[in-house]
Amino acid sequence: MKFDMDYIAHHNALTETNPYFKLFLTILLLIVTLALDNLYFDVFMFIVMSIIILAVAKINYKSYLKFLSLPMAFLVITCIFLLLFFGKGEVIYETGILGIVVTTDSLHYAVYTFMRVLGCLPCLGFLALTTPIAKILNCLRNLKVPRIMIEIALLMYNTIFIFLNEIDTMQKAQDTRLGYHSYWTSFKSLGALVSTIFLRSLDKSETLQFALDSRGYNGELPVYEPRKKEN
Amino acid sequence: MLEVKNIKYSYNADYQALKGVSLKIEKGEMVALLGKNGAGKSTLFLHLNGIYRPDEGQVFIDGEELKYDKKSLLKFRQKVGIVFQNPDDQIFAPTVEEDVAFGPLNLGLPMEEVQDRVEEALARVGMSGFEKTAPHHLSGGQKKRVAIAGILAMKPEIMVLDEPTAGLDPQGVVDLSILLNELNEEGITIVISTHEVDLVPNYAEKVFVLVDGLLIAEGTPKEIFAKPEILEQANLKVPIVTDLFQQLEREGFDMNGDYPLTIDEAKEKFLDLLNKN
Repeated sequence: MKFDMDYIAHHNALTETNPYFKLFLTILLLIVTLALDNLYFDVFMFIVMSIIILAVAKINYKSYLKFLSLPMAFLVITCIFLLLFFGKGEVIYETGILGIVVTTDSLHYAVYTFMRVLGCLPCLGFLALTTPIAKILNCLRNLKVPRIMIEIALLMYNTIFIFLNEIDTMQKAQDTRLGYHSYWTSFKSLGALVSTIFLRSLDKSETLQFALDSRGYNGELPVYEPRKKEN
Repeated sequence: MLEVKNIKYSYNADYQALKGVSLKIEKGEMVALLGKNGAGKSTLFLHLNGIYRPDEGQVFIDGEELKYDKKSLLKFRQKVGIVFQNPDDQIFAPTVEEDVAFGPLNLGLPMEEVQDRVEEALARVGMSGFEKTAPHHLSGGQKKRVAIAGILAMKPEIMVLDEPTAGLDPQGVVDLSILLNELNEEGITIVISTHEVDLVPNYAEKVFVLVDGLLIAEGTPKEIFAKPEILEQANLKVPIVTDLFQQLEREGFDMNGDYPLTIDEAKEKFLDLLNKN
């Protein structure tokens, strides 16, 4: 199954819910979770937000697991490092390799970091999975976030799909010609892919500039206010 | 009216893409610019609303010379709209309506007017109901329509389309040519670059042939497609129906030098031949 977060954000039961509400709720919950720093609360948040995402927003559990899996992988690696290489204090476990030890301090760090992230992840997921980027950007614009940041985010958001598509196509083309057959060829193919993508991006950015200029772009993206639907 | 006078343009000083092109397109015409890949069609198009500035030569719109200061550019870019070959290059906003609104907003129109124009333009290209959709969730043909709506919303006098049929499925091509014909009837001058010759006689009243940065011929489709030497030079061929009748002539059927270019013409001709024998 292909995981397309953008598609999910557009097609779930909470897409049309007020984006300000979702944005503020997310920020509030994040702050509370981080400030309380309580292991039980972290677990509580994880469960509650997961239920909201799965049951209220009606997002497929497979998609949700995929959403969690990538940051989880990073999280586990980070916590292992924290556990082994950080903190001082009483030694509670000796690995016996190169004098690497687990201390009370490092165990504390690792567990708390893990649980905090675990609690915050579904909060962020709630916003990311239920709200299309365009709506979030609109909120931020109305909240007076600097224009330049929003414009960059907006252009990035749109070009990233073209960019990913391009990478996908090129990678498949290389793969058909056995470009990823061995480690060595994989490195070479990846190098070629990256340099070509860079040049092509430059080319694309020039064309995009022409297209924008053609429609009277003056260096600032104007804001469109859609007509309110009359019911 | 759009007039280009002796335009020359080079990339990087060592490759001259346009070597002195002059052409004139009257108001309300629908013309095709034929030429193979790399003939300079896109380069020429980017001159028509001042994206590129020619090394030599001028562009005139309604008899007024194109100037390159900010204010004139805005005016001319409203009059001459370019639809880019790849809609992905043109559509940048996160939703369809925001993209269509981009041009009119840049013209500094009031929001009410912009909303009207967005609605109207989307309805015109048959994309009403997709206002809130993200462009990357649309099909190729739909993206093309949105790109055209984005230009229509600026109410241009002249619409320039670079290879509009590239990448469309057959039904998409038919729908597009119907749309362009309608827009032309509503008074918009339309310039299309293409190397797909089969459809050209259906819409174009006039054809220009561009080869290696030089305009080598202009005329009605009938005139152009009757000159094999020009087509060969431009790496083009006659429409498939024309080809059929030229081959029939070789089999001994007399065509009186009149070869049909479109399916309709071919049908008439075919029935004529049947009745004769």
